[in-house]
Amino acid sequence: MAGEVIRFAGFLKDRGFRVFQSSVKDAIRGLEIIGLFKRGDFLSSLRSNLCTNELEWSQFPNLFDEFWDMKALEREEPPQESTSEDREVEEVRADGEFLHDIDQQGGAEAGDIHEKEWLEGVTYSCLSRVEKKDLADFERGDIHVAQLALKRMMEPFKITVSRRSKRSQRAASMDFPRIIRRSLKTGGTPMELFYREKKRRLKRLVILADVSGSMDRYARFVMPFLLGLRGVGSRAEAYVFSTSLSSISFMIRHLSFEKALVRIASEVPDWSGGTRIGYSLHQFNQGPGQRLLSRRTVVLILSDGWDLGGKELLRREMETLSRKAYCVVWLNPLAGDPDYEPVCQGMRVVLPYVDHFLPVANLQGLKRVGRLLSRVMTH
Amino acid sequence: MDLHFESIDRVVEELAEAQYIADRALATVLFLSHRLGKPIFLEGEPGVGKTEVAIVMSRLFYTELIRLQCYEGLDASTSLYEWNYPKQLLHIRLEEQGQKEKEEIEELIYSLKFLIKRPLLEAILRSEDKAPVLLIDEIDRSDEEFEAFLLEVLSDFQITIPEIGTIKAKTRPMVVVTSNRTRDVHDALKRRCLYHWIEYPSFEKEYSIIMTRLAGIESRFAEQVTNFMQKIRTVDLLKKPGISETLDWAQALMVMHRQFLDEEVTMETLGCILKYQEDIEKFKKEIWADQDQRATYLPR
Repeated sequence: MAGEVIRFAGFLKDRGFRVFQSSVKDAIRGLEIIGLFKRGDFLSSLRSNLCTNELEWSQFPNLFDEFWDMKALEREEPPQESTSEDREVEEVRADGEFLHDIDQQGGAEAGDIHEKEWLEGVTYSCLSRVEKKDLADFERGDIHVAQLALKRMMEPFKITVSRRSKRSQRAASMDFPRIIRRSLKTGGTPMELFYREKKRRLKRLVILADVSGSMDRYARFVMPFLLGLRGVGSRAEAYVFSTSLSSISFMIRHLSFEKALVRIASEVPDWSGGTRIGYSLHQFNQGPGQRLLSRRTVVLILSDGWDLGGKELLRREMETLSRKAYCVVWLNPLAGDPDYEPVCQGMRVVLPYVDHFLPVANLQGLKRVGRLLSRVMTH
Repeated sequence: MDLHFESIDRVVEELAEAQYIADRALATVLFLSHRLGKPIFLEGEPGVGKTEVAIVMSRLFYTELIRLQCYEGLDASTSLYEWNYPKQLLHIRLEEQGQKEKEEIEELIYSLKFLIKRPLLEAILRSEDKAPVLLIDEIDRSDEEFEAFLLEVLSDFQITIPEIGTIKAKTRPMVVVTSNRTRDVHDALKRRCLYHWIEYPSFEKEYSIIMTRLAGIESRFAEQVTNFMQKIRTVDLLKKPGISETLDWAQALMVMHRQFLDEEVTMETLGCILKYQEDIEKFKKEIWADQDQRATYLPR
């Protein structure tokens, strides 16, 4: 049974689950404790050990059925005259005894060997294939795997804490110089306490995402990633544009990102319309940009640069943007293509004003973006 | 302690006795957590009874509930321990008049008496005789540094205070961690926990929760409320009402002596269920304005 569970864990891992060795061990131990009598208990025990988030939680039952039913079929080549449920229980019981036997003759060793095999054996997985795939070519089956992979990439940003400290209202480390200075008032008895805390230094992130027709397929994938960047704190702002600009910051701040995504798609007026980058940037610079842009702002633009608007306007707005912001990152799904040259005029105009130009054609590209951001976002 | 929780069936019974209606999956997780000594990581929409799990656990085991409410900026000094500096300083001044040696004073002011015990240290100290239930509520509100620190504590329940030494828990406290998913919690923490996602209750479950939690409620009225709540959760709202809203609402109506749902009373008390102005507007406009839709929400 231990071997089967390990194989099942490998099966989940291939489908984008984050499976940890310790969780697999605990899953096996858990099964020993609850015994293998009910399929439902068996499922919940594995589920609680092997899932780590809601997405995995909701996909688990289907994958569970897929794997263990397949197993049952394999096992029972010679068909027997009993109902499938009975069979399941019998089979599971038989395995339970098997496990028991192993236990008596140093089962720990046997388990370890299995585990090792599993860890070393996995070199090829669905996940590594999906990672390199162009986002536009995604099939339905890949989407689940990709969603999980995306989630993994949205690991919280590392917030670097500066060495300098500032006065603090909340309890942190004691500000003794100030306490003692103030204590002179009360004859050397310190009655008031003061604190100092380390300054946090994180730049503000502004996201401008193109959701026009040509970007539609990419935007749907990149948006969850960008929304996941909420980890950068309450200072992140997000806007989407096609022919005009609209803010989605409110939605991403108040809703879980699955919900936000649905709402954004339904409420943004011209999702999948045409593009007017220059005009949208103009709107941004004139409106929210006034407030948001400073030398502590990182601007991230997601667009393929197919522009219907005027070139001169685009150039002027890009210039303003790059002058005001700390750095401008442009993510272009087409840049992943080795044959790609920024032929479309829009792109050629903006390149001089872009600090980092990155492809985001696949999940690997997104990973690189994450790394870049954690570098430029901190001082 | 092992008298309880000897099998999953027993857990289900115990929970029901303690007025917590749980499905078998949750009971399995509680059982495993107890046996494996692993913390439980609970996620779910607000108001589905995550915190309640810990409260019920403490009631079942006749033990204390130690709660650590997380918030941004929570750190070691507010969650673990802190020296009581003012008390120390005052004490030094008092002792200055006496004849005590410097070393003696120092030993005194760095004893347990001068330590402000915060929830995590409390959980470790209390586990001397009986393991308490430690509830770490809304971990997603704290920051990453705190998570990393929590890992350290959760892995072996041992704390080193430089001036005193290492304090280790005799028995492992039962730990329940809850999260509302406003951000992702790091893997390293999740890996050490059993995961469970609490969903909105089904009709039967919600009905029996109302019946067990609200004494003196009429079964017909409970049915009406359950029906309404189940319906309203199918609407796309900013914040769907959880089971806690259901209980609040039913209780509010009982206080008003209105054990029957009609249009008027629903409109008056809509604020018990929907907590955003946008949601209330949307509900009024899209559902309440429509005669047929409205009829499905109310008893005939």
